Amino acid sequence: MLEHAYLIPLIPFAASLIMFFGAKEDPHSPAPWIGVGAMLISLGLSVSVLLAFLGGAATYERNWHWFSFATTMGGKHFVHDMPIGVLIDGGAALVSVVVCFVSSLVQIYSIAYMHDDKRYKRYFCFVSFFTAAMLGLVLSSNLLVTFACWELMGLTSYLLIGFWFEREGPCEAQKKAFMTTKLGDSGLYLALLFLYSLAGSFQISQLGQFFSMGYAPAAVAAVIALGILVGAAGKSAQFPLFIWLPDAMQGPTPGSALIHAATMVAAGIYVVARLYFVFLAAPDVMALAAWVGCITAFMAAAMALVSYDIKGVLAFSTISQLGFMMCALGAGGYTAALFHLTTHAFFKALLFLGAGCVIHAVHTNDMREMGGLWTKLPVTFWTMLAACCAIAGLPLFSGSYSKDMILAYVWEFSKPMFWVMLGTALMTAFYMFRLIFLTFTGKDRDHEKFHHAHEAPGLMTVPLVLLVIPTIVSGLALNGVIFKLAPKPVLHFQTAAAHEVPADAHAAPAPAPAEAHAEAPAAQHHGDEHHQEGHLPPFLHYLLWVLVPASIAFSFFLYRGPKYPVADALKSALAPAFTLLERRWYMDDLFNVLVRVSDRVAALCFWVDANVVDRVFVDGWGLVMRVFAHLSDLFDALFVDRTVDGFGGLTNDVGVGLRSFVKDGQVQEYLMYAAIAFSLAATLILTR
Amino acid sequence: MLSLIIWAPLVGALIVLCLPKEKVTAIQAVSFIAAGVSLVASLVMLRAFDADSAAMQFVERLPWIPSLNVNYSLGADGLSYPLVLLTTFMCVIALVGSLGIEKRVKEYFFWFLVLETGMLGVFVALDFILFYVFWELTLVPMYFLIGVWGGPKREFAAIKFFLYTLTGSVFMFLGLLAMYFKGGNTFDILQLMQLGPTWEPRFQILVFLALYLGLAVKIPAAPFHTWLPLAHVEAPTPISVILAAVLLKMGVYGLLRFCYQILPGGFQWFLPYLVLIAVINIVYGALCAMAQTDMKKMVAYSSVNHMGYCLLGIAGMSAAGFTGAVFQMVTHGIITGALFLLVGVVYDRAHTRDISAFGGLALKTPVYAGLMFLTCFASLGLPGLAGFVGEFMCFLGAFPMWKWHAAVSVLGIIATAAFFLRMMQKVFLGTFNEKWAGIEDMTVRELVSVVPLAVLTVWFGVYPTWPLSLMNKTIAAMLGK
Amino acid sequence: MTLAHYLAVGSGLFLIGVFGALTRRNIIGILMSVELMFNAANINLAAFDRFLHPGGVAGQSLALFVIAVAAAEVVVGLALLLAIYRNADTVYAEDFNLLKG
Repeated sequence: MLEHAYLIPLIPFAASLIMFFGAKEDPHSPAPWIGVGAMLISLGLSVSVLLAFLGGAATYERNWHWFSFATTMGGKHFVHDMPIGVLIDGGAALVSVVVCFVSSLVQIYSIAYMHDDKRYKRYFCFVSFFTAAMLGLVLSSNLLVTFACWELMGLTSYLLIGFWFEREGPCEAQKKAFMTTKLGDSGLYLALLFLYSLAGSFQISQLGQFFSMGYAPAAVAAVIALGILVGAAGKSAQFPLFIWLPDAMQGPTPGSALIHAATMVAAGIYVVARLYFVFLAAPDVMALAAWVGCITAFMAAAMALVSYDIKGVLAFSTISQLGFMMCALGAGGYTAALFHLTTHAFFKALLFLGAGCVIHAVHTNDMREMGGLWTKLPVTFWTMLAACCAIAGLPLFSGSYSKDMILAYVWEFSKPMFWVMLGTALMTAFYMFRLIFLTFTGKDRDHEKFHHAHEAPGLMTVPLVLLVIPTIVSGLALNGVIFKLAPKPVLHFQTAAAHEVPADAHAAPAPAPAEAHAEAPAAQHHGDEHHQEGHLPPFLHYLLWVLVPASIAFSFFLYRGPKYPVADALKSALAPAFTLLERRWYMDDLFNVLVRVSDRVAALCFWVDANVVDRVFVDGWGLVMRVFAHLSDLFDALFVDRTVDGFGGLTNDVGVGLRSFVKDGQVQEYLMYAAIAFSLAATLILTR
Repeated sequence: MLSLIIWAPLVGALIVLCLPKEKVTAIQAVSFIAAGVSLVASLVMLRAFDADSAAMQFVERLPWIPSLNVNYSLGADGLSYPLVLLTTFMCVIALVGSLGIEKRVKEYFFWFLVLETGMLGVFVALDFILFYVFWELTLVPMYFLIGVWGGPKREFAAIKFFLYTLTGSVFMFLGLLAMYFKGGNTFDILQLMQLGPTWEPRFQILVFLALYLGLAVKIPAAPFHTWLPLAHVEAPTPISVILAAVLLKMGVYGLLRFCYQILPGGFQWFLPYLVLIAVINIVYGALCAMAQTDMKKMVAYSSVNHMGYCLLGIAGMSAAGFTGAVFQMVTHGIITGALFLLVGVVYDRAHTRDISAFGGLALKTPVYAGLMFLTCFASLGLPGLAGFVGEFMCFLGAFPMWKWHAAVSVLGIIATAAFFLRMMQKVFLGTFNEKWAGIEDMTVRELVSVVPLAVLTVWFGVYPTWPLSLMNKTIAAMLGK
Repeated sequence: MTLAHYLAVGSGLFLIGVFGALTRRNIIGILMSVELMFNAANINLAAFDRFLHPGGVAGQSLALFVIAVAAAEVVVGLALLLAIYRNADTVYAEDFNLLKG
């Protein structure tokens, strides 16, 4: 099925077009099923692609001609062909399955969730379009297309955050999201320019070859990697650009589940992984990425500790988990990051959809108004509990496998960082179960809301149940094969690390000799490799098994309800810290200052433009010319014109004098004088 | 064939002049036929246009003033032909937009058609005197079109526009004369392209500066850009469209055709300054746009910003940059033309363009809001829409040579996004401003003028093969000399 | 018949024309006098051509031109005259002094 892989993004794209132009806006229209159907077809295709890779298929690349443009490379001018196509390796296949799976479930869920919205159809168009863009990003062989999809995802994110644009909040949030990610995108933009000016191509496979041959100077590679990192920090909400994600929760909850939790925000991680060869050539930037991820994970987890907004907690936890992935990438855990991306997508989508059910039932986001809901929403409760276990990293749930793998890489990379990450992981367990306890257990705190709460319809609960399956088993299922599926790309010129096959070795034309002999031992290497790599030392492993339940127990102790004396006491004792966290580390204020400063600068620029450039420079010049004109006029009137007037006056006087001889206005008299004058003149001339 | 394209509008203008002024429909019909003939002819030329050749095509050559060695010579290549297509197309679009004009209809269409002839002539003239005649021919109709049919400060704007551009073109004329006497008494552009590069650098620099002054005002390159916001704000909607879509392109076209091809020495010398001007245009233009409350003025400053991308691409001295500049010219014409038309739509209904006077319009006018979103996103360079392709190629071309300048210019992209998003939020999103409860969505006429532009925006953004294929060879050859 | 005879007739005719143009009160008369002057010029043209460039046709053709132009001029003149008459209800030249300075 690999040769039809290009259809994976095209089918949802076509579906979104069909829905947009073909269907009418009607809250009960069957149009969304088009999107669901398209998603299911794509899911089938991508599953078959994944199966091919599990069966040992090689990296697959296929390109078509897109457009040609004249370009200059090394002093030569020629017409360059820009291809468009797909480049699929194990990681891409895995992520595309995840995207298709989550997206189809989210769409099914949304059919019920959005059922009486007046922009029902539009929502599904956006979601389908988003999925198409995400799949395009995942599969594209051309970095330019990847970037285009990256931006288009930003657009759909913008549109979905501001889906209910009648209210001011979503509008501010959507603008903030777009601008913050755009800030990051500019880094990626420059990285793209740099890559092209360096290698003369946007093909990821060619770029990979270029880097793995060591053609890129280390400093240049560092700058490029930094640009990519900035872009990823914007999209994947890393420090300091994470400010947009908590606000992004103002959109419809299932949309948030898909875009701002499971898939789009992981795109930054994915692109870093896809361009991992650049980072391998720039070890300093890799370390920076690790620290950025670590700081993000910690800061976001801390904010999640104090939030009372159910979606807010989930948003912070998303940021924190993305920080884990980024940290893993920086620490060299390419495979671990992709693994965590996969498991996280499943359980975070489940959490968001569950939160959607809760909000649907009680019509509030505030966890202080919930409580004891597990009797009312049993399906939601049990599914969310499973997801919480997964994200907290309880043994046997998917999250524990991927998180352990990340921690193992971090342990090898840096010990201090490991302890921070460990603390963050424990905080994760704490705040996730705090959410469960506050929402589902204890006594109801708002009787009115509790009374009206009811379980969501089947269309919403079925996706929850379906998501539970991968939430539990994906870790176990992938644990053995993930190293085979997504081997870490390796730079050839770093001989010490040259023991694995680069992801693009099969696609790259004209392999270097180094690659040729690297392939042979690679196969048996994989077999025993993952026993050493990606596993914690046993004592830490068992320590985790103890600490995580302890953290959950602590959470139970604080938030089991119905009263929270200990939690309140803690809060009053640590008031400054709480304020700091509730104000989100003052990062929002920092960016507000930035916005205000740039507004000031803009106003100043315009002031200069209107008052200096235009008034002084242009109008001033005009004024000088006018003064000069007045001077000339004066001179003209005083001297030149007087002389002229003098002549004119003289002639006039003569004329007036002569006219006194004539009877006024008689043409024939004039004619007579003319005739006399003429004959006189003629006589004079002729007789001369 | 080129003559037909150029002169058809002028013939139409003369016919319009002979029609009685009460017969509005007839006047409009004649104008459409005249502009339509140009459009159809330029499209028919597509079949004969050889995209694989870098040479001048459709060359016409007749002696005009033999004593001065002035010829009537026309020709088009991959650089000018896309602009000719753009002009004929945008003129028809602007004519659709002009159907709403009610004051002095006859004179309006007359001047409009004369303007079209002038603009087309500028792009295809291969003789400097002919070029200069067309160049100046665009001024007079523009003066009247702004001065008579414009907004409240129209006279001032028209006079400023006229004097400013005239000042520039006087310098340009001096440059032309200098080349005439230096180059052995010829005004032939193709001959001068052979001769020019051999002149000594000092002379090239001087002539370059003279030409540049004339072109910079038109582009408009900072700091000669201040006429643009004023003229745009005061001009009636279709004239703003033409001004942005075509008139500004004459400057960049001249830069590529004359400054680069005839005076490479002067061009080379000026590059560091040109790139600086480009960066100023991009960043400063975007910042100025950010400070605007008048939508039209905002779009006008965004034009300054977008022409900065063209300059940046040109300053890169690479084929990708030149391609980007030409493509950016075409797409900027399409996108900004659409933006002005759309701003005109809301102005016709509300009689204000103040951004903060609106709110939540997307509720009442979904089609209008959708088109506006599309064009705004295209203008701020969203991939998949036409604006991105040109902009990105400009950066691609400039980056190898001017890394820091390009990096600073990226700030301009961010600022562009900022002001467009703010405008969309304030006008279309948020709580609905009840003051505009009676506002209506777009009429058929407005849709007819905007939808083709929107279609092109998407087409060129997703699949730019066709427009690029027209210019590739010419540009590669231009640089390969 | 020498050239002088022709010229004498021509100048006689011309003088009559001048006299008429200067003295007639009726504008129609003035117009007719102007015609006389034209014809005097025509005679001169024909005569000069005949005696100075025998075999040439330039003079005659010029005379033909003059006749054509004179006809046109009369048409315009009469039209003007009619317009004036409608407005002023008179055809006497001395009544028209609108150009008086």
